[in-house]
Amino acid sequence: MTDRPSVLVPVRVLEGESIPEGVPELLANAHVVLLGYHVVPDQTATGQARMQFEERANGRLEKFASLFEDAGATVDQRLVFTHDGQKTLDRIIDEHDCLAVLVPNATAPPTDVLVAVRGTIGVGRLAEVVAGLFGAMDVDVTLYHVAEADESMDDIETFLDGVVDRLTTFGVPESAIETRVETAEKPLAAIAATAEDFDAVVMGESDPSLTTFVFGMPADQLAERFLGPVLVVQREESESS
Amino acid sequence: MADQPVGPGVSGENVAGETPVEEPETVTDEAIVHDEETELERTIGLVGGLAIGIGTMIGAGIFVFPGLAASTAGPAASLSFAIGGVIALLVALPTAELATAMPRSGGGYYFISRGLGTAAGAIVGLGLWLGLVFASAFYLIGLGHYATAVLAEVGIELGADPVVVIALLFGVVLTALSIGGTENTAKLQNYVVGILLVVLTVFLTYGVLDAFGVFGRQSAPEVFFSQGTFPVLTTAALVFTSYLGFAQVATVAGEIKEPSRNLPRAMIGSVVIVTVFYVVTIFVATSAFGADRLGTFGETAMVEVAREFLGLPGAVAILLAGLLATFSSANASILSASRAVYALSRDALLPRKASEVNLRYGTPHVALLAAGGPILVLVATGEVELLAEVASFLHLVMYGLICVALLVLRRRNPDWYTPSYRIPGYPVVPAIGALASFGLVAFMQPASIVVGLGVMILSYLWYRYYASDVTLQGAI
Repeated sequence: MTDRPSVLVPVRVLEGESIPEGVPELLANAHVVLLGYHVVPDQTATGQARMQFEERANGRLEKFASLFEDAGATVDQRLVFTHDGQKTLDRIIDEHDCLAVLVPNATAPPTDVLVAVRGTIGVGRLAEVVAGLFGAMDVDVTLYHVAEADESMDDIETFLDGVVDRLTTFGVPESAIETRVETAEKPLAAIAATAEDFDAVVMGESDPSLTTFVFGMPADQLAERFLGPVLVVQREESESS
Repeated sequence: MADQPVGPGVSGENVAGETPVEEPETVTDEAIVHDEETELERTIGLVGGLAIGIGTMIGAGIFVFPGLAASTAGPAASLSFAIGGVIALLVALPTAELATAMPRSGGGYYFISRGLGTAAGAIVGLGLWLGLVFASAFYLIGLGHYATAVLAEVGIELGADPVVVIALLFGVVLTALSIGGTENTAKLQNYVVGILLVVLTVFLTYGVLDAFGVFGRQSAPEVFFSQGTFPVLTTAALVFTSYLGFAQVATVAGEIKEPSRNLPRAMIGSVVIVTVFYVVTIFVATSAFGADRLGTFGETAMVEVAREFLGLPGAVAILLAGLLATFSSANASILSASRAVYALSRDALLPRKASEVNLRYGTPHVALLAAGGPILVLVATGEVELLAEVASFLHLVMYGLICVALLVLRRRNPDWYTPSYRIPGYPVVPAIGALASFGLVAFMQPASIVVGLGVMILSYLWYRYYASDVTLQGAI
């Protein structure tokens, strides 16, 4: 067993967002960093919004926290009033050393999880999250790779075997792991299509040069099409492991 | 994340039974933490801070005052702007130190209420709000002049005096936009300021080269002090409105990232930058036409200067820049005025209701209306110079008291006073800053002084009636 992986669950607490069904069960083995945040327009001082909304926001946040605790997770609770949601998310991820961020969507209690793997970068953290969250549950993990044109089948196999090794070292039974490789023009569409048969998706952050994370394109787009929860594993601060 | 001790305790209640909001527990580089887990994110960086300061200031000094200043002080108007810049710098330094010790929203009001007590705080706080209201009205009239000039340029002649009507219209639009708009206005402000600085740099570089005869044109040599030396000081008092913006940076001090580094840089930097731009602008403008002729062009004199140098394209560029600059100055001032109302209401010096946030848009509609409403009344008067001077008066009183607050706090040295930036030249710099600020008031028109004093007296009476039991200074 590994330590409980820290997972950030951001909630726009005053805009009617809540914790969708199935999510507490999904994160039962996680250390949940529950971030309630409220984005305030520039005209408004953040303290001004706090004066008016703090009580209501904290009330809702407490309820959410107990949902996670009842499912078995440990919870850290934060409430932030901000002009810039992305900056707040980045800061909290950093302060709590979050391995992954959840894009919350409703799901059934998890039995099948799709893990999209792209390359060797960040695989260590990906494995840590998957093993930490699902290793002790009765969950089937499917490693899914969309092959690129210049990759040979051998390379892919070696790479996926490496990931399986990591997962088993972290305590995921080998019998629960499956691998699947496909070729597709649009990897994202392929992941979204495949994901329909699964309860949740775990994926890495996209290339930093392309987008910012969490609400950056791939994870967000995926979450929109997939309609289920997506765990976005965060890049390591300085270097990849 | 260097934690800082937080300001003095607050206590007491106002007539309505409201108490000041408790001070936060910790203040870090990235957030302000209240109670156990509620945080206020800091989101404005150095560029954002500079944009607030420069954006508020540059509209007036370059696009409204050159003509007015040249007609009263002659070519020595340059010197008037330089004097204003020096005084602003003398105040910006102490403000920067106080802001790093108390990186909380509310600006000068906050420092004075914590350093000198509730009464002084109330006078300055209400004065800050109304001072910004006067300043916004002044910027809006400037905007009206530019809009009228644009219309004239395209050949539309309106009735007798469209300036005030247009200014009123923009006043309504700006207030409505700030209540109903939820898009990111701060980013926009950065771009606007960037564009302005580029346009002005190009224009002024050409102007300076021309003034030194590079393009082979003779400029009429003039007597520097063509109107004598005294008008230089009265003009400095008038144009001081061009230096109000750096204190607006302090009104959002609670939202600035790494305040100990960014606050002093944003405040001092914006003063230095605009001072250079002002002095060069006046130099270029007076050497293009001579001060007397420049004076006859009034508020939009810069357009004529640009036309002289670069023909129609130059005039169009400066017209558009003038619209942008006065618009952004007015906008920034309305928002700052609303922040001032919030700070007062947080400390129970105004009803809590005044800082209420609108559920639909998330904006403080009461505070914004408390800014926008009086602005329209003042715009309707159409008195450019009076509005500018009253705005300057109320700010200068605050600036003087900021310097005094610094002297008092350094002297008493309470535990919580641990600024990360300490000014050079203590106690001489703040002492001169205070004297210069109060001194400049003496050179204003009597009418401005009377209105300014009236506002102060009313503010004090309001404090006595409404909040005489509120204590903001804590035990020092």
